[in-house]
Amino acid sequence: MTDLERHAYDVLVIGAGGSGLRAAIEAREAGLRVAIVCKSLFGKAHTVMAEGGIAASMGNSNPHDNWQVHFGDTMRGGKFLNNPRMAELHAKEAPRRVWELETYGALFDRTPEGKISQRNFGGHEYARLAHVGDRTGLELIRTLQQKIVSLQQEDEREFGDAEARLKVFMELTITELMHDGGAPDGPVSGAFGYWRESGRFVLFDAPAVVLATGGIGKSFKVTSNSWEYTGDGHALALRAGAKLINMEFVQFHPTGMVWPPSVKGILVTESVRGDGGVLRNSEGKRFMFEYVPEVFRGQYATTEEEADGWYEDPEHNKRPPELLPRDEVARAINSEVKEGRGSEHGGVFLDVSTRLPADEIKRRLPSMHHQFLELADVDITAQPMEVGPTCHYVMGGIEVDPDTGASSVPGLFAVGEVTGGMHGSNRLGGNSLGDLLVFGQRTGAGAAAYAAAASKDRPTVIDASIDAVTATAEEPFQREGGESPYTLHQELQQVMNDLVGIIRREPEMQEALDKLADIRERAAHLSVEGRRQFNPGWHLALDLRNMLQVSECVARSALERQESRGGHTREDFPGMDAKWRSVNLACHLDPATGMVQLTRQQVPTIRDDLMHLFERSELEKYFTTEELADFQDVRQGEDDQS
Amino acid sequence: MSVDAPSKKPIAEAVEVPTFQITLRIERYNPEFDTESHYEDYEVTVHGTDRVLDALHTIKWDMDGSLSFRRSCAHGVCGSDAMRINGKNRLACKTLVKDVNPDKPITIEPIKGLPVEKDLIVDMEPFFDSYREIMPFLVTTGHEPTHERIQSQADKDRFDDTTKCILCAACTSSCPVFWNDGQYFGPAAIVNAHRFIFDSRDEAGDQRLQILNDKEGVWRCRTVFNCTEACPRGIEVTKAIAEVKRAIITRRV
Repeated sequence: MTDLERHAYDVLVIGAGGSGLRAAIEAREAGLRVAIVCKSLFGKAHTVMAEGGIAASMGNSNPHDNWQVHFGDTMRGGKFLNNPRMAELHAKEAPRRVWELETYGALFDRTPEGKISQRNFGGHEYARLAHVGDRTGLELIRTLQQKIVSLQQEDEREFGDAEARLKVFMELTITELMHDGGAPDGPVSGAFGYWRESGRFVLFDAPAVVLATGGIGKSFKVTSNSWEYTGDGHALALRAGAKLINMEFVQFHPTGMVWPPSVKGILVTESVRGDGGVLRNSEGKRFMFEYVPEVFRGQYATTEEEADGWYEDPEHNKRPPELLPRDEVARAINSEVKEGRGSEHGGVFLDVSTRLPADEIKRRLPSMHHQFLELADVDITAQPMEVGPTCHYVMGGIEVDPDTGASSVPGLFAVGEVTGGMHGSNRLGGNSLGDLLVFGQRTGAGAAAYAAAASKDRPTVIDASIDAVTATAEEPFQREGGESPYTLHQELQQVMNDLVGIIRREPEMQEALDKLADIRERAAHLSVEGRRQFNPGWHLALDLRNMLQVSECVARSALERQESRGGHTREDFPGMDAKWRSVNLACHLDPATGMVQLTRQQVPTIRDDLMHLFERSELEKYFTTEELADFQDVRQGEDDQS
Repeated sequence: MSVDAPSKKPIAEAVEVPTFQITLRIERYNPEFDTESHYEDYEVTVHGTDRVLDALHTIKWDMDGSLSFRRSCAHGVCGSDAMRINGKNRLACKTLVKDVNPDKPITIEPIKGLPVEKDLIVDMEPFFDSYREIMPFLVTTGHEPTHERIQSQADKDRFDDTTKCILCAACTSSCPVFWNDGQYFGPAAIVNAHRFIFDSRDEAGDQRLQILNDKEGVWRCRTVFNCTEACPRGIEVTKAIAEVKRAIITRRV
């Protein structure tokens, strides 16, 4: 490989969203040499689109809030399928990570006393989301970007080289992870990829690799996700021998734009509802009162009066049902539309115009105001928005050790949306930005410790491995007359959207698997014109392989799980089944055939002290009788139920 | 609540959006084959509600897969798809075709003043270099992340406007001074300096003002207002630059 560019680092972070940057900062502050690789320009990653805020139980809005309440909300939101250790660490450490972000320079909206203002969000008992207007993700990523620039300028002063210990390789795509000595089941030893601009191949030698690549939404037609979300990290991990868990759980955000067609799927922040917005059907009815499921009865208001009273007096009123977890709201909207009570363009109405004064709407939701005015010609201070579900987030991902982010493959770490477990079957809004910071810090530390220990005997990349991955990357150019990657991608999105979407049925998922096999076969023969220099067709051809593998994991897991829970709704198995609560479905690639295999494993047990944060009467809604045989109500700490 | 109950058509496809033909005249450049750029015309059928980005996607997906441009979030938050549309810097994802005189060919060119890499993609490094020059990070001492730091809403509001920047380079690459003088920091870097100079928590204001008092700093600005007009986030860029100028004079570094 004469034109191969080669770099050696201690820690290689793939992905420059919130989790990747936070991990990189931690590893660099541990004194290691760190490379960050990203597909986009630095600072444009998907985190930028997060609008609502960072969930952290700082208690600024309500002094009753604490990590135990946040933990409980997270578990309820995930329908108790969460990895409890992850939910615990997240709830405990999120406040400190927010304060830390503030020391990095982050800006937040303020309470009258000058504290960080916290906003209401679905599934959170108290107003808990630290935010700045509706651009919290932009502020988060800009702050981390700024922190990295400051660390680089420190290095410039110390070593005369700003990139001595932290370098960002932007517009570079990783196509494969490398293994020590080429042994497919050995530790990772680096990663291989290409510069998007020149097409030149690049090899990174690194004993520790952190996957922070985000989600998979670009496999679906209607999605709020950006072009980067092609499941790269999920697929890289699979091919490197790691396991993906919970892949059947895909979050459809209840409120995406539905009109006009060019912007269908673009997110409408949950803050609209958190700040008072309500959902109505074509009959003008606030339909969410009809959709409070059994497990949440008693926690949500039953009348409009009570719901409206909650915004001012949460102590004496129950929460409006518009603020149920996202899976519940998305299903409700889907039902209303299906039963003919939808809006003109196939959504429902989200109205904040009759709920807040125009000035207040513009102050709290400036981006939404612009977005609708500019793209849909709708003034949200005077008219309702039309909204419907959009593919937003994947709960499933790489199985990792909660404390360190280590996967089952030595040297391979993962953090953020690309991991599974933290959010169980459904993620609460605001818990993603917290996830990025909490586990970014932990995984950065975990990878740094591993890399430091491996520094004496660094794993190696052998030439045969490089030749093999180079050949795979160049394959699309070797063929002529094949189909266009754009055509295949559009077909894939349609299949996933229509057959493995928000409501699932066995025959449709079988059909989806057949179609995925067909697309996979055709993708093996697709061809790309031109050469490697900034060739978007070639880039998509390589991303398509990842999307196909990940989509198959989603479809296989969804077919297997015969119940409805969180982000997985089966029309043929509409109820939640306690027997399935303790089951994680895990995907791996069969080493011999390279095909996706599915196994069942136990959801990690919830520690006793954490179990006792709940009352038996609530646990009975989720757990089997046998699981609760030894459980007795011993209330610890203060009452966390309002 | 006065929702006008519309006709019950639950399926989006039930509503037809009118389509029309437009011509996009795109400046193309492929460094592998071309010594200089040239323009190519594309006839595209678009919906009345489509954005310029949708038209570019149609070309890329259905007509010419080699067309290269950056885009990411596709709704004006990430700042990847700034380009010159009929001579004005805009984000393609926030510009409706119907608003840019579609009866005539719509000209699409890369933003000016930065080296073109391919088609609509420019080298952003010089832009980020200027950004890094102004120390774009909070400088503060003695604040540990064990508790929060009080800041009043009024102090926060003082620099709120300039924190909206998405680093898309629309302002900097619309500035005639920047076109003619590659050394000028440009409006985006000054906006990002403003964000810290006026942050009550920051301790490096004097240092930043000194940097911007440099010969390639704020005094190059001739108050043309192109930057304010170009900003897709509605930041009052020229005003921010004027505030920095005033701060240099009054604080006197």
